[in-house]
Amino acid sequence: MSIEKRILARELWLAAARPGDIVKPLWFLLLVVSMVPLALTPDSELLAEIGSAMIWIATLLALLLNSEHLFQSDFSDGILEQWLFFNRPLAWLVGLKLTAHWLLHVLPLILLSPVVALMLSVPGDVSIALFITMLVATPALTCFSGLGAALTLGSSRSGILGVLVMMPLFVPVVVLASGVLIRAMDGSETLPLLALLGAFSVASAVLVPIAVSLAIRVNIGGSN
Amino acid sequence: MRWRWFHQWGSPRWFYERAGRWQLVCGWLSLGLIAVGTIWGLGFAPVDYQQGNSYRIIYLHVPVAFLAQAMYGAMAVSAVVLFVWKMKIADVAMQSIAIIGFAFTALALGSGAVWGKPTWGTYWVWDARLTSMLILAFLYLALIGLRASIRDPDQAGKVCGILILVGVVNLPIIKYSVEWWNTLHQPASLKLTEKPTMPASMWIPLLINILGYYIVAAYLVLGSMRAILVERERRSSWVRELVKRV
Repeated sequence: MSIEKRILARELWLAAARPGDIVKPLWFLLLVVSMVPLALTPDSELLAEIGSAMIWIATLLALLLNSEHLFQSDFSDGILEQWLFFNRPLAWLVGLKLTAHWLLHVLPLILLSPVVALMLSVPGDVSIALFITMLVATPALTCFSGLGAALTLGSSRSGILGVLVMMPLFVPVVVLASGVLIRAMDGSETLPLLALLGAFSVASAVLVPIAVSLAIRVNIGGSN
Repeated sequence: MRWRWFHQWGSPRWFYERAGRWQLVCGWLSLGLIAVGTIWGLGFAPVDYQQGNSYRIIYLHVPVAFLAQAMYGAMAVSAVVLFVWKMKIADVAMQSIAIIGFAFTALALGSGAVWGKPTWGTYWVWDARLTSMLILAFLYLALIGLRASIRDPDQAGKVCGILILVGVVNLPIIKYSVEWWNTLHQPASLKLTEKPTMPASMWIPLLINILGYYIVAAYLVLGSMRAILVERERRSSWVRELVKRV
């Protein structure tokens, strides 16, 4: 088995061993979305207007919640140190890990979004736009939250520091996504903005793993 | 000998002594410039025909807003120096600039809010420039928090350096995206009313103040760098000698 296959298989086994890690963010998303009508109003027209933005923010928080300790266990049990000795660039392995994380922990959130969109009476076409936006935007968000997790590996009591550090860098994604949703509500063209979002995701997927691998190297070097 | 000027930067002691002298020069120079610029700007520059006297906050607001952004650039240069030449002094600079840069950003936001109330009728609007300044403040805070969470200073420096460089790539994207977002959400009813034409008696004191604030920033950074150096090098012999002399 190649190194790539072994890493992916290990991620699958780990996820199967702890299904709670996949379920908890979904649970969180459902809870936050249930709070919105309670905190605001059950008026379905108002909910439909702000619903997609609320779901977007709740998903963002759920995503941050489950990627906060993305590298922590691999760091403390020495797996990351072993990665340094594989004859593969560290950034490539980090990219694999992030891909596996996206598939196992982020994709379920996206799949849940049409359901929570129904809960907030978001119209069907906006709900589809929301689904596609998330599909296009989450790779960038996953990469950046991975960077936050890697930067705070050496922190003694990191807590939510990784989240706080990375949130400002989410601005372009959030802004473009809100643009897509607003246009979807108007019924105007969303494709150009989706293309921009996609470009941002692709650029992040290529460049951010390099920064992540640097951060991991620094933190492994410092812990000795 | 040709490289001596370069290698000297690797010596904390050399820098500590030199920086003390530079600091003195910067301190007096900036005091003079800011005194001239501020007295001229507040006392003698003409009244604006639209905003009256409230426009005079630009003599504080514009310089600190300039610096809030320039400091990030200086920090990025320090990060590059740290990674390329492994100079510890660059890391000390990064640490000082993060805190002082945050202070300038907060001051820019605060003075902007004070000006916004009489002019726009509100302390805060989600204007593109205000928003990107706010994000900048969060980035500075992130750097301060990240450094505070890591015990080993060398490791903290490198980790912060990575974040600074990622931020440098992202800041223009953030700026443009926020500008685009603002024009999407609201028509141009609210703009930072920058006059295209300003009489010289208004902009000369402003220019003097901008220069003065740049130098005062250098003064603050040098002072803070010296303090951090003494703390980090507290076990070295030159710091012990220094403490004995005091």
